[in-house]
Amino acid sequence: MDRLLPLIVVVPLLGAAVLVAAGRHVPRPVAEAVAGLAAAASAALAAAALAGPPEVSWVGAWRPQDGHSVGIVLVGDRIGLGLAALTSLLVVAVLAYSWRYFDEPPHGHGGAFPALVLLFQGGMCGFALTGDLFDAFVFFELMGVVGYALTGYRVEEARPVQGALVFGFVNSLGGYATLLGIGLLYARTGELGMAQVGRELDQAADAAGHGADALVVAAFVLVLTGLLVKAAAVPFHFWLPDAHAVAPTPVCMLLSGVMVEMGGYGAARVWTTVFGGPGGVPAAGARRTLLVLGVGSALVGALMCWQQRHVKRLLAFSTVAHTGLFLTGIALLTPHGVAGTALYVLGHAGAKAALFACTGILLDRHGSVDECELHGKGRGIPFTGLLFAAGGLALAGLPPFGTSLGKALVEERSPWLPALFVLVSAVTGGAVLRVAARVFLGAGQAGREDDEGPETTGGEEEPETGRRVRRPPVPMVTVAALLLAGALAVGTVPALTGAVSAAAEAFTDHAGYAAAVLDGRPAGRPEGPYDWWTWTGAGLGLLSAALAVALAARSVGLESRAVPWSAPLRRLHSGHVGDYVAWTVAGIGLVSLLALW
Amino acid sequence: MTRRLRLWVLTAGLLATAALYVAACTDLPAFGGSWHPYGDRAVRAALQQHTANAVSSVNFDQRAFDTLGEETVLFSSVLGTVVLLRRTRGEKRVAPGPAEVPAALRRYGLLVLPVTLLIGLYVIAHGQLSPGGGFQGGVVVATSLHLLYIAVDYKALERIRPLGLFELADGTGEAAYILLGAAGLIAGSAYLANTLPLGTFNTLSSGGTVPLLNAAVGVEVTSAVVVLLAHFLGQALEIESEDGAKDGGREA
Repeated sequence: MDRLLPLIVVVPLLGAAVLVAAGRHVPRPVAEAVAGLAAAASAALAAAALAGPPEVSWVGAWRPQDGHSVGIVLVGDRIGLGLAALTSLLVVAVLAYSWRYFDEPPHGHGGAFPALVLLFQGGMCGFALTGDLFDAFVFFELMGVVGYALTGYRVEEARPVQGALVFGFVNSLGGYATLLGIGLLYARTGELGMAQVGRELDQAADAAGHGADALVVAAFVLVLTGLLVKAAAVPFHFWLPDAHAVAPTPVCMLLSGVMVEMGGYGAARVWTTVFGGPGGVPAAGARRTLLVLGVGSALVGALMCWQQRHVKRLLAFSTVAHTGLFLTGIALLTPHGVAGTALYVLGHAGAKAALFACTGILLDRHGSVDECELHGKGRGIPFTGLLFAAGGLALAGLPPFGTSLGKALVEERSPWLPALFVLVSAVTGGAVLRVAARVFLGAGQAGREDDEGPETTGGEEEPETGRRVRRPPVPMVTVAALLLAGALAVGTVPALTGAVSAAAEAFTDHAGYAAAVLDGRPAGRPEGPYDWWTWTGAGLGLLSAALAVALAARSVGLESRAVPWSAPLRRLHSGHVGDYVAWTVAGIGLVSLLALW
Repeated sequence: MTRRLRLWVLTAGLLATAALYVAACTDLPAFGGSWHPYGDRAVRAALQQHTANAVSSVNFDQRAFDTLGEETVLFSSVLGTVVLLRRTRGEKRVAPGPAEVPAALRRYGLLVLPVTLLIGLYVIAHGQLSPGGGFQGGVVVATSLHLLYIAVDYKALERIRPLGLFELADGTGEAAYILLGAAGLIAGSAYLANTLPLGTFNTLSSGGTVPLLNAAVGVEVTSAVVVLLAHFLGQALEIESEDGAKDGGREA
């Protein structure tokens, strides 16, 4: 099986190549079938690899000799493979969802949209599986390039073009920082593989008798910058709401569901494999960096999320908030933190993608994603409303959703974490429930135009189905329901938690990773005892869900969602590319300070 | 943010980044040393694989998976451009008229075109032996075709540039690389393994799969650049908004 790992990455790429080569002559249903087949094949391969023992695959058969290799390794560890499987499954869901989407594909390029989605899938799977820093950068760029094009897909309008441009600028800047950092590590060690670089750093530190010097810290900061941009951590997050609010709905499902999480995964992976040993950065500095940025993102994301009326923008800010919670979980640097975060990511992917899917149905039915404009308009589609509300409760951390289990496993690790997790879950979930109550139940007032400050409304949007639909298309509703069922399954299948806990043990093992990759010593561990639901965890989940309902109930009748003292923060999200670039560069400074302190 | 505040934030960030990077650079290995661990290993591996151009050995053999990723980045960028520059509602296509070209420019262009084409093909074909390869040669070949646009006009370029064929080649080049990689699996080794006979060092057929992967990239890059330029040229020369304004007529 180990030889087949690269196929998880290249099968979608091959599907895209075929769609482009044959694009002019292939009718749309055939193109979509080919795309669905390629995505599903990749998902099946990832699932098969997950079922077997953990393995590494040296591309081109350049296996290491004496711990050195000139080649690239793909590492089939459970967390990376699991992320690749999640990506592939979500792509299949997205392709099914967009079955009736985009009635007007570019002339002569009927397969262009599915081809781009497949390339996106290949990029994300490559990033999740690679054990090589430079290779990770290549796939990071691939994800980016495809992401910009997909975000700007609806070029007829101004906002998608602006969103794609901002996304492109900020992510490219992050990419350059990462490349600079990789260059420093290569200059020091003569290696590009994560395991090799980590081992060389440890040996150098051993020889010199001291830990990290300026070069290692700088490399850490620079490599981390690109990954944090992808993860949309404050203050690198400005691109995300602008891009996610305007991208086509199926693309939003992928961007919020897995792509942003890839940044957090990359940060955790690079930290444990490269910088986690005695030659890396001190754990305290790394932990402080991720913790401060994680908590900041969670609070800023929640505060901004609450004040949005553009539903997609609201969901985008909730992604910022939840990614902040993921980074907080990763910052614990323990197997428990990683296991909890992994489950949280799985549950969040299902819930958030389902919420975007429901929003897409509203968009196609009413040509609007504005909370005020849509007031009461969703009364005719109660099932979609039910799904939307369930998604909101999942975000709020209602047991037994996977989000709630992940949240419970992380927050039990520290006395002050429950306060943060409950607050952020309640506010983001409450915002979604408020929208659900107003749109699908017609509760409260229709709302008036807010006077204070500029605000992004969600009116006058083009439906993505070419023309408005009357009743929700069956594939769209089915996909949303299945995604939510998946989020529910994450929290209710004990075997999954057991597997994730064992995977997290291996993931955080710096020396074990290097031994598995370079010395061929299998890293697989027998599943030990693991934490599952506890009364405290479930109680805190119920508490945050109840708080979310209370917040929604209280605000549904209010005329304005604005929180007056947050006006300066709202003004920072200006849409000005120059502002965002300035904050990104300042963020590098902030991360250096936090890492060095 | 005001312009002043933005500049302050940017300056603070730049200063901090510069300080960090300068501090890091003082810890770099000294300039001009003889310690090149990766270079030594890579050259040894290149010789062992009978590939005279060590850079090509790294690109198409030792780290061929990176090159697949890089080729795909180009492939995706072109597809993304095709999507973003498509003719949208409210735009129409008009045929650009013939252009006046000075006779000297015309003579020069027509003279240089075949020479450039030949150099491009040479650079692709000799990637395993001498500096160059599919990426570099592909750009040269694509450039040579566009000399016709400069020397004659857009219509002449369109005649030697059947876009459908180049799109087919674009996808085929990408698919060929992926399938050549799978050949390594079928031969019982790893993905992208160099399983072909390695040939005689420093001859055109040496290097095993390197010349083939190189050619696949050459085809892909040539067609990708042609398709890319075709869409930019089309946007600038052919596509107008319905009210007759040239590109940019759509509302910003």
